[in-house]
Order: sequence, then structure tokens, then C-alpha cells
Amino acid sequence: MELKFENKGNATVAYVSGRVDTTNYDEFEKQITEQVNSTQGAFIINCKNLNFISSSGLRVFLITQKKLMAAQRKLFLTNMQDAIKEIFDISGFSSIFTIYSTEEEAL
Amino acid sequence: MEKELKIINDIDEISALATEIERLGEQWKLSGAMVTNINLVIEEAVSNIIFYAFDDQKTHEIKIWLSLNNKLLTVIIIDDGKPFDPTKTKVPDIDLPAQDREVGGLGIFLIGKIMDSFTYQRNDNNNILTLKKTVE
Repeated sequence: MELKFENKGNATVAYVSGRVDTTNYDEFEKQITEQVNSTQGAFIINCKNLNFISSSGLRVFLITQKKLMAAQRKLFLTNMQDAIKEIFDISGFSSIFTIYSTEEEAL
Repeated sequence: MEKELKIINDIDEISALATEIERLGEQWKLSGAMVTNINLVIEEAVSNIIFYAFDDQKTHEIKIWLSLNNKLLTVIIIDDGKPFDPTKTKVPDIDLPAQDREVGGLGIFLIGKIMDSFTYQRNDNNNILTLKKTVE
């Protein structure tokens, strides 16, 4: 798993790549939470290079959504690969996140 | 075609296991989507075993046996931890809005959704999970 962040206008974009699984979800959660806490405005997670996610990773997405909703901020997920979208669909996560096919739509 | 993989109850084993399964997927000519799904269900089942099955501090072996016969992929996961039937766990309510969704409890639910069948047996002090799916 690799994670980098960019500020674009009033939004923060997180680029996640590789696998988010049981072995690294805690690091993923730590870095995302730090960014959420130190920024304002919309938060975007660009999932273009996210190849694999398990329930531990899904948990971090849910925690992040809850946190941002409580702060009345928006979370957008973008560029999701089909296999990842399928896992979101099965989990009922597609209805609790705003998912766009491109980052531009979210900005 | 069949293959037996063995790991110990250490969560760091998951990465090597994922690599082994990807290699097997290539040998058995499974689709990328199928390999991802198999990797996911095995990770969910095995991580549950590693985190919850053992109360002692000892090293335990977990066996993962895979076979592909007439397009039926079977995964059997065996551990010698305390009895636990994951097919009987509470199903999360996936229709709740984000603020009411419980964090966690999704792993076993995903196994049931992805695989065609998911059964549990307790035999000779072992937990035996059998997962099956027809390969396209």
C-alpha cells in the first residue's frame, strides 16, 4: 500500500495504490486520519491504483466517512477499478459513498 | 489440480500467502477477478483464525488446501483453534446509512456473498471450513 496526498483548490486528494488488507489497514487508517484532521473542505480518495481491498480496508473507508459526515464535510471516491467497485456493491458500501468515475467530477 | 499451502498463525504470513495464490491462479489459468476474489475470501477466513482462534501464545499451523476440478474451485481451510462456526455469525445490515453502519463484521459476510457455498465442520479438534465456487 502506498498513499500520497495533494491539495487541489479547497479539496484534499488522497491517492492510494496497491493492497489495503489486514496487514496494513492500520497504517492506512493512521495516515488518512492525520490528513482528515489537518485539512478542511472536501476529501477525495482516488482509487485508480487500488488493486485489492479486504474488510479491514473497507472498515477504514467507513470510519473516514463517519468522521467527515460528523464534521459536515464531503467525501468522494473516484476512479475505482471494477473488482473493487464490486466489493463495495456487495458490502452495501456503494450506497453510503459518493462514487465518481473521474477525479474531475468530484472537484 | 490441487495444492496445499501451510502458514503459521502470524498475520504477516498473509502477504506471502497472497503471492502464492496469485502464482497458483496463473498456473490454473484463473481470471484476474477470480484470483482477487479467492485472495479476498482466504484473507478474511485466515485473518479471523489468526486473530481469534488461539488463546495460547504458541505457534499453530493453518492449512489451506485448494483444488480445481471440472470448473469447481474448492478451498478447505483447517486450523486447530477453539471451535468456531463462522457460518453462524450475525449478518450485518448492509442497507443502513453510514452513520448507523457498524464498523466491522463484514469479512465473513463477504465470504458468503462471493462463494457459491460456505460450510463448517468440527472434526478431531480441528475447524474445517469448505468454500466452493464455480469458475467461469
